[in-house]
Amino acid sequence: MSKTFTVEGDIGSADTRTLLTTQGSVTAPSSVVPSGVTKIDQIIVAASTEGLANGAQVYFLRLGGNAVKNGEQVIVISAVGRIAAQAGSDAAPQLMAPIVFENIDIAVAASDTITVAIEGAGTDTGTGHAVVTLIYA
Amino acid sequence: MAKLYRSREGDATAVDTKTQLSTLGSEMAPGPLLVPTGVKALVGVIIAQCFNMAAAAGYSALIRLEGPGLPGGPEVFAAGTGGTPVATGGNGVNKAVLIPVNIPVTPSNEILIFGEMAGTDVGSITFGVTLVFA
Repeated sequence: MSKTFTVEGDIGSADTRTLLTTQGSVTAPSSVVPSGVTKIDQIIVAASTEGLANGAQVYFLRLGGNAVKNGEQVIVISAVGRIAAQAGSDAAPQLMAPIVFENIDIAVAASDTITVAIEGAGTDTGTGHAVVTLIYA
Repeated sequence: MAKLYRSREGDATAVDTKTQLSTLGSEMAPGPLLVPTGVKALVGVIIAQCFNMAAAAGYSALIRLEGPGLPGGPEVFAAGTGGTPVATGGNGVNKAVLIPVNIPVTPSNEILIFGEMAGTDVGSITFGVTLVFA
């Protein structure tokens, strides 16, 4: 049986680990791993920026907390780039469809807490936004 | 055994130049990327890259894996391509790609990850790479 856990949040600056703790209208979803599960089976994730500053950076998903049995696992998600837009024109938007990582097989301890964080690395390109779904099995 | 995920990132700022990816965001000195004990193979490589669009040019991107953690010798992966007609307007996002592989590894030994820009110098490319062990 699968069970989902979704969080989202804004990432303010590069080289800063930012915890995702909200879920839209649900401001404090429980981060306790459901009983009866043993692993994260799939991850659905997307991260991009508003593109308000020039540069290029990558985003990592950092899964940690007491529930992750083998210590923090860090997975690259996306990369973004931006250069100042031409005068009189609008810059293209950054649109990222989510990635679905299957058979991710990260061991977790049920009834313990998991932390979901995003971190940008490189040159800050403006406020980032990320959404993550963990599918337990 | 459950899978284990190890990551590094960095910038390649010159064309045809091998650049080691040795940092991890806020971790400026994470140390050598060692093959975890108890694993038998590298089963996946996850790569994301994007350029800063600082020059009106195009590029190809490569990831090179080297070091004593790879008993079969170096491996090289296509990481993507890009380009822009002007250096005065661009904005984009690339999602990461998971490449399934089955490459023997030597536990407790180091794997070095390099990013490389090929083609024309476009300014810089930022790479993120995750190695998946099992």
